Amino acid sequence: MHRLHQLVRGILTALLLAVSSSALAAQATSTNAIGGLRAYWHVFIAYAVVIVIVLGWVISIARRLKDVEQRLSE
Amino acid sequence: MSITGVRRVGTFLAVVGLLGLGVVYWLSFFWVSTEASQGIVQRIFYVHPPAAWTAFFAFGIAALTSGMYLWLRDERLDWAALSAAEGGMVFGTIMLITGPLWGRIAWGTYWTWEPRLTLTLLLWFIFLGYFMVRRSTENPEQGKRFSAVVAIVGALLIPFIHLSVVWFRSLHPEPVVVRPDGPLLPGDMLTLLLTSLAVFLVLFLGLFMLRYTLEGIRADLQVRARRAAA
Repeated sequence: MHRLHQLVRGILTALLLAVSSSALAAQATSTNAIGGLRAYWHVFIAYAVVIVIVLGWVISIARRLKDVEQRLSE
Repeated sequence: MSITGVRRVGTFLAVVGLLGLGVVYWLSFFWVSTEASQGIVQRIFYVHPPAAWTAFFAFGIAALTSGMYLWLRDERLDWAALSAAEGGMVFGTIMLITGPLWGRIAWGTYWTWEPRLTLTLLLWFIFLGYFMVRRSTENPEQGKRFSAVVAIVGALLIPFIHLSVVWFRSLHPEPVVVRPDGPLLPGDMLTLLLTSLAVFLVLFLGLFMLRYTLEGIRADLQVRARRAAA
C-alpha cells in the first residue's frame, strides 16, 4: 500500500509538471484565437479537472482498500 | 481470476492509464495541430469526448451487470455494477465540467438546455439516484435489486443522448467520429482522440478492477463477521 501511495505521488508530480510546462508553452503562442487568454485558462482548468477527479478516485479507492485490509488483518 | 489477481491487473492498468494520460497531455500541447476556427480551446476535445464515451461505457457495464444480477443473483455481478456505476459518475463528472468550459468559449455560454446536455445531466442524476436508492433501504438485498433497476433505466438514455444531436437542432455539434460515412477529422486529431479514448478506457478498467477488489474484500469481511457471530 505504501508503494502504491509513493507511485501515485510520483505520477501526480510528473503529470503536474507536464501540465504546467504545457500551459506555459501554450501561453507563449498567439493569443489572437477565439476566446483570447480566457480560452487558455479554460483549457488549463479542463485538463486540471481531469487529473484532480481521476486522482481523487484513485486516492479514494486506495484509502478504502487500506481500511478494509486493516480490518481484515485485525 | 482470484481477487488478488484482479487487484494486480487493476493496479497495472491504472498505472499504465495514468502514465498514458501524461502522454496524451503532452501530445495534445506539443504534437497535434491547432484547429483553425476554434483555436486553443478545441484542445478540450481530447478529454471531453473520451470522458463522455468512457462514462457511457461504464454506465452500460453497470446496466448489463445489473440485469445479469437480477437474473442470476450472483453477488459478484452486483460488485461489478457498483464499481462501474462509480466509474461512470467519475468520468461523467469530468464530461459535465469540461463540456461547459469548452462551450463558454465556443458557444458563448456555459450551459444551454438543449436535448443532449439535458439528457446527459439527467443520466448523471439517475446514477446519483442509483447510490441513494442503494443506501436508502433497510434490507441491503432490496437496495441492490432496486438500484439494479435504476441502472438499467438510466442506461436506456444513452442511445437517445447519442442520437439527440441528429434528431434535434441544437448548439451541440453532430457526431464527427461515429458517423455512417466515416470520421470527419484530420488524421492527427483523430489519432490523438482515439489514443485518449484508449487511455481513458484503460484507466477506467484498472480502477474498476481495484474498486471491484474492494467490494470483494468487504464481502469477505462480512462472511468472517457472520462466522464469528455464529
